Amino acid sequence: MRADHISVRASWGITAAAVAVAAGGCLPAGAGAAGTAVGVAEREFRISLYRATVAPGTVRFNVTNFGEDAHDLAVLTPRGRLLAISPEIRAGRRHTLTVRLRRPGAYRLVCTKLDHPARGMRATLRVRRPRR
Amino acid sequence: MKRRRPRPAPRRRTTGPWTEAHVHRLFWRAGFGARPDEAAEWAKRGRAATLRWVLEGGPQGAALVGPAPSADGKPLDPVNEWAHDGLWWLDRMVRSQRPLVEKMTLFWHDHFATNDQDTPLMLRQNRTLRRHALGSFPKLLRALTLDPAMQLFLSLPNSDKDAPNENFARELMELFTLGVGYTERDIREAARALTGFRARWTDDGFGGIYYDRERHDRGFKRIFGQRGRFDWRDVLRLVVDHPRHAPFLTTKLWEFFVAGPPSRATVRRLSAVYRASGHRIEPVVAEILDHPALYRSLDAPDMVKSPIVFVAGSLRTNGLPVSAQSLTWLLDGMGQRPFDPPSVAGWDWGPAWMSSNSMRTRFDWGNRLIEDDLLGVKTGSTQPPASPAEALEQALAATGRPWISGVTRSHLLEMATRFFDDLGPRTRPQRRSERADMLQRSLRLILLAGPDAQLH
Repeated sequence: MRADHISVRASWGITAAAVAVAAGGCLPAGAGAAGTAVGVAEREFRISLYRATVAPGTVRFNVTNFGEDAHDLAVLTPRGRLLAISPEIRAGRRHTLTVRLRRPGAYRLVCTKLDHPARGMRATLRVRRPRR
Repeated sequence: MKRRRPRPAPRRRTTGPWTEAHVHRLFWRAGFGARPDEAAEWAKRGRAATLRWVLEGGPQGAALVGPAPSADGKPLDPVNEWAHDGLWWLDRMVRSQRPLVEKMTLFWHDHFATNDQDTPLMLRQNRTLRRHALGSFPKLLRALTLDPAMQLFLSLPNSDKDAPNENFARELMELFTLGVGYTERDIREAARALTGFRARWTDDGFGGIYYDRERHDRGFKRIFGQRGRFDWRDVLRLVVDHPRHAPFLTTKLWEFFVAGPPSRATVRRLSAVYRASGHRIEPVVAEILDHPALYRSLDAPDMVKSPIVFVAGSLRTNGLPVSAQSLTWLLDGMGQRPFDPPSVAGWDWGPAWMSSNSMRTRFDWGNRLIEDDLLGVKTGSTQPPASPAEALEQALAATGRPWISGVTRSHLLEMATRFFDDLGPRTRPQRRSERADMLQRSLRLILLAGPDAQLH
């Protein structure tokens, strides 16, 4: 199943079932070192991306939770559909979320916990074809 | 009657012959060890030339010389890949032609310990520490006060005139500049003076530190008995001018390089040098590196290598590159992962490094080193040695000739002597060769990770 075709409408309160479907579209965590690595830091209430732009293809989000609360990381297409979501990442823990971002555009990254996105846990990753 | 201030002791310099043992001691304490050929060369060139190279560098500057680092066959991405930041820095320790600068960067990383901040900010702080490693302490202190990772770590941007946060002011006095000689009131008043910093956040993450005069407490403060409308610059000036600052910092520098505390006369001397130089680090370090105490007991090293020094040193002295991500986790197991000090107080140095778990991990590292592709022995490649001494010589030559004590040497020779005892005269040559391989691996492991290898 291609991750792009999962049609789960993004909302701040994503259900467990949706999470399970979306996770099925991800490449397995730690699937080698293929793709472009993007460092991600989460804390209350910020998401920092260490790379703002990537080329279309497989992206590995190396997420570290520097905060005191548990967080997760959801990747949404430019149209707002849920593409992939990590499991809950406890304080001080790490997780790799591997996703295929095939089309150019502005992909949204959010923590779906409670009101965390509204409080600032959101970021944008731009996918652009490299200039020739 | 006016009390006379004690005069600083005169400078004490190393005198007498300058041997390879002196070079090894200096290169380990001021860096990450010397290869045998380096030790021979610098012993020949003499004390003054060696110290000059260590302190000032050579024509190559801070060039990185040797094979480029990698993580399991791929180039490093210190910003985005976990643990590559530590490998990136470890590589500098292994290859830099200014090892003292990297050693001092490690000193400052411990002194201004910061953790749990975004990787790009930690790497930026690391560059700042390196840039000021041997320069002016006031400039370093100013740079670290404005450093985003430090500011966020100690909540300086959250501190404003309505609710001054004391974190930074407290650590500034307790850990960064004084140790003792201040009161709780000094901390509270300094915290007021340090108000006004803000952090800018955007949807793309951290957007920088800025100063908002409206959030700064412009009232009068009293710090160390002085009264004024102090701001953050004044606080930094006041702590550096405090009479406890020079003894505090020079003692800490001494204890980084020399086992055992300095005498009072030495502290007075180093403090005088520090003040006379305009609070520069390099003249103090130059005095310490030339002091006879540094070269005490050349035949019995008395400082424990920190895990980072142990690992970087074993790579550097053997000409090996940083090549595996597992290095970072090994350093974690040993208790010293770069960019991850346990608290704002930094690491506990000295014998505290030698916990049972840490020592087991140091042996794991030794085992990794004696794998075939590094310093190992391919099965069937070793001829039975003509003598135990030849076996030991072969192992020493293969491991960068690390220091071993006379006692260890005799134990290793005894082990080599008995290693073939159970093999009879009719044992097949191949089995003898395999046993010789095993002896080499055992000797090399002990040389690389045994008790003597933990000291410098």
